[in-house]
Amino acid sequence: MAASEAAHGEHHASAGVDNRLLLMWIFLASECLFFGSLISTYLIFKGESLVRPLPEDVFDIPLTSLSTFVLLFSSFTMVLAVYGAQHARPRMMKLALLATIIAGLIFLGFQVYEFKTFGEEGLNLSTNQFGASFFVLTGFHGTHVGVGLLYLGSMLIGSMRRNGLGRDTATHVEIAGLYWHFVDIVWIVIFTVVYLIP
Amino acid sequence: MATAAGTLPAVQEESTLWTWLTTVDHKKIGAMYGVSGFAFFLIGGLEALLIRTQLAVPNGTVIDADRFNQLFTMHALTMIFLAIMPLGASFFNYFLPLMIGARDVAFPRLNALSFWVFLAGALLLSSSFIFGGAPDGGWFAYAPLSAEEFLPGSGLDFYVVGLLILGTSSLMASLNFAVTVINMRAPGMSMMRLPVFIWMMLVVNFLLILSLPVITVALIQLLFDRNFTTNFFTPSEGGDPILWQHLFWVFAHPEVYVLILPSMGIVSEVLPVFARKPLFGYSAIVFAGVAIAVLGFAVWSHHMFTTGLDTVPQVVFSASTMAIAVPTGIKIFNWLGTLYGGSIHFNTAMYFAVAFIALFTIGGLSGVMHASPPVDSQQQDTYFIVAHIHYVLFGGAIAGIFAGIYYWFPKMTGRFLDETLGKLNFWLLFIGMNITFFPMHFLGLSGMPRRIYTYDSDLGWDTWNMVATVGSYILGIGIIVFLINFFWTMRKEPTASNNPWGAATLEWATTSPPPEHDFDVIPEVRDRDPLWYDRDHGIEQPEPQPGVHIHLPPPSYFPLLMGLGVLLLGVGVLSHLALTALGAVIIVYSVWGWALEPTD
Amino acid sequence: MASDAHTAEKAHGSPYGPREYIIITLILAVVTAVEFALSYSGLATLPLATLLILLSAVKFIAVVALFMHLRFESRIFTQMFLFGFILGAAILIALIALFWTATSDAIGGDEELPPLEHHHEESRELFLDPERLV
Repeated sequence: MAASEAAHGEHHASAGVDNRLLLMWIFLASECLFFGSLISTYLIFKGESLVRPLPEDVFDIPLTSLSTFVLLFSSFTMVLAVYGAQHARPRMMKLALLATIIAGLIFLGFQVYEFKTFGEEGLNLSTNQFGASFFVLTGFHGTHVGVGLLYLGSMLIGSMRRNGLGRDTATHVEIAGLYWHFVDIVWIVIFTVVYLIP
Repeated sequence: MATAAGTLPAVQEESTLWTWLTTVDHKKIGAMYGVSGFAFFLIGGLEALLIRTQLAVPNGTVIDADRFNQLFTMHALTMIFLAIMPLGASFFNYFLPLMIGARDVAFPRLNALSFWVFLAGALLLSSSFIFGGAPDGGWFAYAPLSAEEFLPGSGLDFYVVGLLILGTSSLMASLNFAVTVINMRAPGMSMMRLPVFIWMMLVVNFLLILSLPVITVALIQLLFDRNFTTNFFTPSEGGDPILWQHLFWVFAHPEVYVLILPSMGIVSEVLPVFARKPLFGYSAIVFAGVAIAVLGFAVWSHHMFTTGLDTVPQVVFSASTMAIAVPTGIKIFNWLGTLYGGSIHFNTAMYFAVAFIALFTIGGLSGVMHASPPVDSQQQDTYFIVAHIHYVLFGGAIAGIFAGIYYWFPKMTGRFLDETLGKLNFWLLFIGMNITFFPMHFLGLSGMPRRIYTYDSDLGWDTWNMVATVGSYILGIGIIVFLINFFWTMRKEPTASNNPWGAATLEWATTSPPPEHDFDVIPEVRDRDPLWYDRDHGIEQPEPQPGVHIHLPPPSYFPLLMGLGVLLLGVGVLSHLALTALGAVIIVYSVWGWALEPTD
Repeated sequence: MASDAHTAEKAHGSPYGPREYIIITLILAVVTAVEFALSYSGLATLPLATLLILLSAVKFIAVVALFMHLRFESRIFTQMFLFGFILGAAILIALIALFWTATSDAIGGDEELPPLEHHHEESRELFLDPERLV
């Protein structure tokens, strides 16, 4: 939403950067603390569960690795979308955006499947501390992916309009890209800290 | 400047309800923050008067225990989130672009959205009194008391949802302001030429940006504990109530500086103007402010000494807390250095500024006392702490805000608040505040716990409680005098010139009140005290070029609509999920409308 | 300020093209595969955790610096992001340290739980019990 706030008036940029990019970077700094708090809650509750299942009972590392590759691939397509937007190649941008959205949907599909399977194995929000902190952490990451999908979807639909995304297309896509890549790096941390480290 | 008006676009001067609802002008938004913040200040004050009335005599029967719990909780929440924060935001909204020589903030519509979301959260939180009872677990809502099992009503849910919405508003405003300060300064306005008020608010914005996500997580966990069967804070299920305390104070200690730093900034503006000399030790004050903020992130556990921290953490947090006294002391000595040798002009704004230094120092000193864990163990949860926070927040934050009101009123309205009534207002508040809060030191040291709704008469607390209550009524009269002054002044003709105080900062270079576009010509800054420099070097303000078009962002109703969506979202969580869905739809629709709305 | 010149200047922000991005992605994929393999290597927890954290740090930095163009952008972005990241990391490490050094006062903490089979049926019932779900 802030991304569309056009630079107005005759103001000059005293730091020499675009307001909207700066806003997104500071917002991502804030998001670091959001996910940091969730991850540390998860770590603090490690070993505090009173009943099973514990991580080793439910985690399916090969499956999660697969979804990690999918999200990594979406980062690649996202960077291509930004490249296409910056180099006035709208077709490349739209295709890459579409590929990013599809990859994001697949990732969410994996997550829904994972949550469902864990539920069937007896893990839910109230089971134990692992369940509570795991579902809230990965659930909010998934929510961020979902918001990102809405964001990218809006970009894609917007780019189909007669005027496309307007004169600032490159910046709009770049900001969306920053958000998407951030969601990816959060997953990089979650994958290592939550899934891989025993 | 009025002569130049003909060359500029016709300024829309009419002030209908619709222009206010759709405004994206930082000055109008600042005014709305100010009026609503002050209204909530009055509500919070009434809550405090009820509390004091109940405690005036032993075994008071004015209100029952349940209502008392709601009142002290809401008094804190109202004063912190609905009064002091928006009043600081009000000044910052109004003066940030003016003081750095910009036409508006970086994202005007986002600014309007911040206000409407604030109003939504504030109304939601306050409406809890009508709908089944207000939050009653203290503003800190310690687990496990905050669990559904112990506080089953909807009060705590109002607390969670209200604070989440208010946090969203603060985050959006802070991001917007931080970008504005970093990227929208006038030519020549380097970071080390920024007015101290802007510097302190920039620090505040970063404190909020970096601490709000932590409380957001804690509130989400509390929400899940209460409504979605998790057990984050339930010890019998493996949860840990101390986790809530940690997350809460990682946010809430920086929040304390969010409340006091704006007033420190205001005082740093007022003192040099009325001492007629530049601020003493500008860089030291700026760096001290930054140091307070950085250290402020490393002291949170001093609120938790009595929870059984290990020895090493106790020592570390005790040391870092004491270390905060150093930058604070630097500021106090710099203010005194500014006064020293100045040709001081005492008016009401200056009275409040000087009172700020004295009262804040008292509050700061009692604060250092409970940096020591053994001392803290004695003082924890007694009225000594109540005395400390009120010296810092009333003697500090509120005194600074009043200094700002008297100082900037001519700029904002073109009118001077009456000086006689102003001094009466000052003395009533100053005396009332000391009579109310100083005895609380004694009460605390003689063992009176906080948050009790009644006490027996053989405990030796009767006299000082009565004195404190009398003092609180004097405070109330002082506020009434201010209101009389305000309404009386608003009926007078505007007479203020551009720079009636002979101040040095850029907001005084434009008319009083400023035109919608702030400056006819964006000023060029050559010094830390630009107007004094230009005056001393005979530099004239540049005349506007005839026929230059100044582009202003058009009004928009999408911020209001999205604020409504957020309100529905929150109401839905508390009542029926269908409303949440409706709110979400409105938000998505507004985002789209917002994105596609032409801004030029 | 959003002129064509500005956009063109942006385009020069990152010197990388699709070819470079493919290479970076492949490297990231290989690192992820190594992480995956390591988790089955049977290494002791401490060296394993250290290696995994180092590898994920490499991935993190690569995405931020190259995909998010931080390396080629104004330093102010780096400062803003790093400030938040470092402060966040410091606070949260301190927080975790506070909990891990404190003797756990939560009931049942630090106890070895019996294997899943004993609790499996019971917890499944808990999950399926609609009252627990609400």
